[in-house]
Amino acid sequence: MTDIPMPLAIEMSGITKFYGNLAANDSIDLDVRVGEIHCLVGENGAGKTTLMNILYGLVHPDEGEIRIFGEPEHISNPMKASRLGIGMVHQHFKLVESYTVAENVILGQEPKKSLFIDRKAAYQITKDISAQYGLAVDPGALIQNLPVGVRQRVEILKTLYRGSKIIILDEPTAVLTPQETKDLFKTIGHLVEGGKTVVFITHKVKEVMAVADRVTVLRRGKRVGILERGNITETALTTMMVGREVMLEIDKKPKQLNGVLLRVNGLTAKGDRGNVVVKNVTFNCHRGEIVTIAGVEGNGQTELIEAITGLRKVLYGEVCINNENVANHSPAQVRAIGLAHVPADRISIGLCVKEKISENLIAGKHRSHTFQKGIFLDWKKIQEYSKKAVNDFDIRTPGCEELVQNLSGGNMQKVVLARELLFQSDLLVAVSPTRGVDVAAIEAIHQEILKARDSGRAILMVSTDLDEVLQLSDRILVMYNGEIVGEFDPKNTTREELGAYMIGARRQEKSTEAAVESVVTHG
Amino acid sequence: MVESLFPKGTARFWTALLSILLAFAIGAVMIIVNGDNPILAYSTMIQSSLGSVNNLAATLAVATPLIFTGLSVAVAFRTGLDNIGSEGQLYMGAMAGALVGIYLKGLPTTVHITISILAGAIVGGLWGWIFGWLNVKLKVNLVVTTIMANYLGILFTSYLANYPFKPPRAPIGSTTFVQDSARLYRFFDSSTLNAGFLIALAMLVVYALFFNYTKFGFEWKTIGLNRFFARYIGMNIHRQMLWAMFASGGFAGIAGAVEVLGVQGRFVQNMSPGYGYDGILVALLAGNSAPGILAVSILFGALRIGGIGVEQVTNVPSELSSVLRAIIILLVAAQAVIFAFLKTRRKKHHELGSTVRS
Amino acid sequence: MNWEALFGPSVLEASLRIATPLLLAALGGAFTHHAGIFNIALEGMMLFGAFFAIVASYYTSNWVIAIAVTILVGMIIGLLYGVFTIHLKADFIVTGIAINVLGLGLTTYLLRALFHVKAGLQDARIAPFPDINFPFLNSLGSINEIFNDQSLFTYVSWILVVVLWLIFYRTPFGLHLRAAGEHPDALETAGVSLTKTRYIAAVCCGVLCALAGAHLSLGYLNQYVINVTSGRGFISMAAVLFGGGNPVIIILVSLLFGFAESMSIRFQGIGVPGYFALMIPYVVTILALVVWSIQKQQKLQQAESAPESLT
Repeated sequence: MTDIPMPLAIEMSGITKFYGNLAANDSIDLDVRVGEIHCLVGENGAGKTTLMNILYGLVHPDEGEIRIFGEPEHISNPMKASRLGIGMVHQHFKLVESYTVAENVILGQEPKKSLFIDRKAAYQITKDISAQYGLAVDPGALIQNLPVGVRQRVEILKTLYRGSKIIILDEPTAVLTPQETKDLFKTIGHLVEGGKTVVFITHKVKEVMAVADRVTVLRRGKRVGILERGNITETALTTMMVGREVMLEIDKKPKQLNGVLLRVNGLTAKGDRGNVVVKNVTFNCHRGEIVTIAGVEGNGQTELIEAITGLRKVLYGEVCINNENVANHSPAQVRAIGLAHVPADRISIGLCVKEKISENLIAGKHRSHTFQKGIFLDWKKIQEYSKKAVNDFDIRTPGCEELVQNLSGGNMQKVVLARELLFQSDLLVAVSPTRGVDVAAIEAIHQEILKARDSGRAILMVSTDLDEVLQLSDRILVMYNGEIVGEFDPKNTTREELGAYMIGARRQEKSTEAAVESVVTHG
Repeated sequence: MVESLFPKGTARFWTALLSILLAFAIGAVMIIVNGDNPILAYSTMIQSSLGSVNNLAATLAVATPLIFTGLSVAVAFRTGLDNIGSEGQLYMGAMAGALVGIYLKGLPTTVHITISILAGAIVGGLWGWIFGWLNVKLKVNLVVTTIMANYLGILFTSYLANYPFKPPRAPIGSTTFVQDSARLYRFFDSSTLNAGFLIALAMLVVYALFFNYTKFGFEWKTIGLNRFFARYIGMNIHRQMLWAMFASGGFAGIAGAVEVLGVQGRFVQNMSPGYGYDGILVALLAGNSAPGILAVSILFGALRIGGIGVEQVTNVPSELSSVLRAIIILLVAAQAVIFAFLKTRRKKHHELGSTVRS
Repeated sequence: MNWEALFGPSVLEASLRIATPLLLAALGGAFTHHAGIFNIALEGMMLFGAFFAIVASYYTSNWVIAIAVTILVGMIIGLLYGVFTIHLKADFIVTGIAINVLGLGLTTYLLRALFHVKAGLQDARIAPFPDINFPFLNSLGSINEIFNDQSLFTYVSWILVVVLWLIFYRTPFGLHLRAAGEHPDALETAGVSLTKTRYIAAVCCGVLCALAGAHLSLGYLNQYVINVTSGRGFISMAAVLFGGGNPVIIILVSLLFGFAESMSIRFQGIGVPGYFALMIPYVVTILALVVWSIQKQQKLQQAESAPESLT
């Protein structure tokens, strides 16, 4: 370790950004040295995305300073960031499918030959840059024919073409196969050899250990630590990321299992970007038990739930509710068998925000006899029902005729919960049931979920909040990279242990109980 | 999906009113430029459209088909379907109504009329349903196919009127007259206002009851507002959307059948001066609401009749009404957007967090 | 069966003439199609051009000035469409229909207000677009009959096909334009103004559609009739969709549709219903869209289905 300070590419000091009362970034310092590979890690909600958005000019900080290559800068928009030499490779690629690699690279700064694009020059420039940094691509290939890993290389080429000196990669391996991930690491090595500085955002411990020169760990908006190569261990990272707070006890009756209700067998499904995100998942859920799937967001939990509830195609595997396989049935059919579902996206999917609270509460039950009077809807009964539900679930609103879009986020969530819980279904699937809900209401919601469990229903929960996971669950399954990597009894585990599994540092061998014979054979 | 043009509730009413007034102001400028007196022109307009029983009858007669096509479009738009094909569905329904009116003999009037209109509704409905099916099952763009279907419907019915069903010694493009038992009762000798207007009022009531008081109406409305929610909550969105397209085409078909049975007495090619397209404007201005459709249809009817009256008294051409209609719509479209823009500005400050967090 | 009357050179010659406004409007539509702002107002824009071209020619007896006026009118109407759909973010269906209604209403209103005629304007003062004679074709028999002595604009439209192809597929602007429609985010992050690109597309569309209408009234009919376009704008829309905005396909399709229209006129002449020929553009478009959609669905199904390996 020399005493001469190494030149800094990025120096962010005291960056603070508030959204309402919440500090997404709380006085964060970040230094990135020239020519290093710097990883930025943290769970969802830690503040990584906000920080990078500030660096890239998409968001302005409330406080703090930024220096780029030593010069204080005010990054007002992405164009400015680009001019300063900052290039970003987003999670969702911005490539025109029907264009070639070269065309995408030069878009916006085309080499010209009088009035026309100089296509030969474009081809050559692309070839040169890719050779220089070891990014193998065919400049003439069409994007639509390229696999994800190669598309990502094109995104990197775009930043290089614009002369970026700092390249930010936002969760780049989320869509890559293991082989492609290896190739990416090689590429990053080439970039650094070429004098570039790389910032790598991730939550996967193995990756950090594979490439990082230094790591900055964020948690709940603050920087909790920096580690230097040589000192980067899984334990250190896990502890920093997940913390060691004291757990609050919750009053919970001992569980009373009553047979298996939900049996998921070898479930495999693809994500929106065409890659497999749910990989051979097998588990079950008994009546009278709360099973929670814990994990960092983006590891396939959402897609898993969509596959179970009929909102996503199941490629392989079974989903059995009450011994009936409902894989690839419509949402209506799955609900009919006995499912209620509190979805991940409450606003776009779980509610019709332009309709009234009462309408949202009876949706799904609107065909039932109780709400009909002859061939018409019995609005009087509907309103009585709604009033009671609003009261029972403490939904803060001037009235049931209010449009849902005028409610606060927490109250919207309560409407969804009220409706789904009131189905009294055998199986309740709840994704992030208390996200965005105020502290007082979280307690009430947890009580409702426990009530449901005590009355003999099966509850499958998904949550990123480890406190909630540890307090409510009877069993915990950790999901990482599309697979169930561990099963735990909440009484016998700790935040650190769960955290280690959540970031891929550890995994269990599949337990025999879970490995039920798969009916479908793989090709 | 065509969103309802309006912010909400009372704001909707004032927006529409303001746009109408502004359009009249622009119209006044045009009239002045033409060398005429806008006050004279507008007062003539009001007088000749609403000023006497006869005039009012004429206005309501023109409003009748607009109510039907307005309903047709409103049903579709409210369910999230961009059906631009009411014009073609109207013609298909008209021909169906005409043929049943011509070739069924010896029936009592009520029965004959009912069957004829039903025929119009079914054929019009099918002409909508086909393209709804292509859209829902094969994801074929509904706007384009229904626009194409308009021309196909118009051409096909013209062909029928000029070849297979061409009566001897008839003017070009008309069928024979329908049986007397199929004619809709005319209220006055001096006007084409007929019982079809009452049928239109009844349809408005059916529409309002359907969407506000039935479980299917609730489903259609929900599908139109948030298709993802509708699917998630267990509604069979494909089946309901297909029914909605059928209903939409059906209303337009009734428009055509009523024109034949009540006004023309037979199918006449090109008998619609764009009722189908006007239906789109009606539905948009009315915010898809039943009282709105009634009000706007009468307004458009008054504009049309008033325009004719103005042309007779002054030098101002009757097309003033078309121009006013178009300006109203443009202004309304712009206003709705300005409202939305203001609303999102306010929301953005509120919620800049939730999208860009962590 | 008089095949000569149905398929002979005079029919082909007429087809070229009839196809020209279709072609021009479709080329205009190609701009907005590529830019991702769907335009169903081609019809209204054509009408504006048709009317104002006649008016300009009436007052000045000069077709060059008529062209200039037409271009100006096209720019204004294109700009109007742009302001509503791009800046005010109004629904494109509403705006499109409004412009169509406004087009028909305003042109008819002005026709009657300014000229006090009932249905159409025809006057010796109106200077039509000239037909152009290429001397080297004069001795080439049938080829001469078909390709020579067409209106100036017909030849211009063919040249435009080549020019636009070059613009769309070989210039930076074309690259931006197509990206604006296919992946607007990619364009914005590349530092190009999406708004500006779309506005240019809207204005170009307006100009070309206006010129299409001008050809119809000044180059083909030499008079203005109320609703002279009678739905041609929608046939052009079909041609755009058919070709995916590719000028080469557009001209082929326009010629096909022009042929269909001239066929229907011939059919009427020999007592066969011409209606079915007129239906061809619409049926063909619907079929093409259905075929495309089926193909797209198949591709999606392949993408969604089982992968080769699970890793």
